[in-house]
Amino acid sequence: MQYLVSVIFDDAGLATPEEQAAIDVFNDRLKTEGHWVFAGGLAAPSSATVIDNRGEEAMVTDGPFLESKEYLAGFWIMEAADLDVALKLAAEGSKACNRKIEVRPLL
Amino acid sequence: MVASLTRRFGDLDIAEEAAAEAFATAVERWPADGVPPNPGAWLTTTANRKAIDWIRREDQRGGKQKEAQLLSDDDPPEPPGAIDDERLRLIFICCHPALAMQTRVALTLRLVAGLTVPEIARAFLVQETTMEQRITRAKAKIKAARIPYRVPSAEDLPARVSGVLAVLFLVFNEGYLATGPGTDPVRHDLTAEAIRLTRLIRALMPDDGEVAGLLALMLLTEARRTARVSASGELVTLDEQDRGAWDAALIAEGHRLVRERLAARVAPGRYQVLAAISAVHTSARDVRDTDWSQVVTLYDQLARLDPSPVIALNRAIAVAELDGPEVALAAVDRLEHRLAGYHAYHATRADLLRRLGRSQKSRAAYDKAIELAGNTAETAYLTRRRDQLG
Repeated sequence: MQYLVSVIFDDAGLATPEEQAAIDVFNDRLKTEGHWVFAGGLAAPSSATVIDNRGEEAMVTDGPFLESKEYLAGFWIMEAADLDVALKLAAEGSKACNRKIEVRPLL
Repeated sequence: MVASLTRRFGDLDIAEEAAAEAFATAVERWPADGVPPNPGAWLTTTANRKAIDWIRREDQRGGKQKEAQLLSDDDPPEPPGAIDDERLRLIFICCHPALAMQTRVALTLRLVAGLTVPEIARAFLVQETTMEQRITRAKAKIKAARIPYRVPSAEDLPARVSGVLAVLFLVFNEGYLATGPGTDPVRHDLTAEAIRLTRLIRALMPDDGEVAGLLALMLLTEARRTARVSASGELVTLDEQDRGAWDAALIAEGHRLVRERLAARVAPGRYQVLAAISAVHTSARDVRDTDWSQVVTLYDQLARLDPSPVIALNRAIAVAELDGPEVALAAVDRLEHRLAGYHAYHATRADLLRRLGRSQKSRAAYDKAIELAGNTAETAYLTRRRDQLG
């Protein structure tokens, strides 16, 4: 079963060198143990663009879809047999990247 | 039974529905047909059949394979050990940390204790529809996020057991705080239910110290229930309780458990220390015989395990008996910024100030405590003490 593991942050800062090193170690572990599907860091919310083409014309808006103090800074897609496994991995991920994490199942 | 059905059918909803229907059928038929020679087996077979029917109805197109798999699963009746494992699994899934605390409580009471939704809703003073939704959403989350149905691994067990005990303690407190003549009787059942479930966990995990500690704490607290509220619905504090009204059997059992844990020579956790404190109190035939020095020592131990200001407050109450109200008041005042919103903080200050003869300040503290107290028995007690100041 796949889980979206989202990294949540509320500051402009990117990962420090120590954090990046810990993330790399963690990612290697995920790959070795067969939990890695995909992962990526995200550019700041200000670099986002929203498109809404549900109506007549596509509406383009500068900025993220939600203005909020906390935002999505990065994510993993992890393969895990159940939530206990996913939570254990996410806990390590949270420690490694030094951020709050959300674990959400893919349908 | 819900537990073994969940294992077989892998779905809490189906298990619950099937169990309920089987019981309903039994209630209908047994008075007329007579009780079958093996009622347990009858119920299990009937529930299994109803669950299969349910799956058939729900899954017309794609379910054939699943159905075939289930029908060919011909287990003989479970041996007792396996059933206990099922119940343990059920408790652990209901108390999973990914579920909110109030959800864990609702789910445990519904699926493990078997209380009805209306009963649980009444006990926690929420609308039935709210409680129904809470439980439905919990099951949906368990399914969607794939919360596993199993006893946690050895390394995870301590943290997870602690989570289960927290749920049971909450249920117990919810029942215990219900006092006074106007209380819904269901809330009294919560203490009984909490004790029953803790006994179940203890039977399943007889070597766990904190489980024994929590059971002892519940028994020693429950033993004092009737003495705790007067005929007029007012709270009776420990020093004023009629100790003859305490339940001797529950106290004896509680003391046995505490002695067992002392003999185990393992560093005690929170519940064991709390139980030991209760044991010191319940060992005294009269309040004047209380070994307060021992109580303070135990609170010191508890404070090392749990830096909560409430523990510091309770320690100060014991210190007042050893070193006098002046010393205790100084300790209590140091907790002001952490406990200003807690009625017991103000009630404690009020009592200490009263004993020091500072009536005006005492009255002000009682007023604050009454304002913050939620429980009618407590309010009645605090009002009386305040009015006695003259």
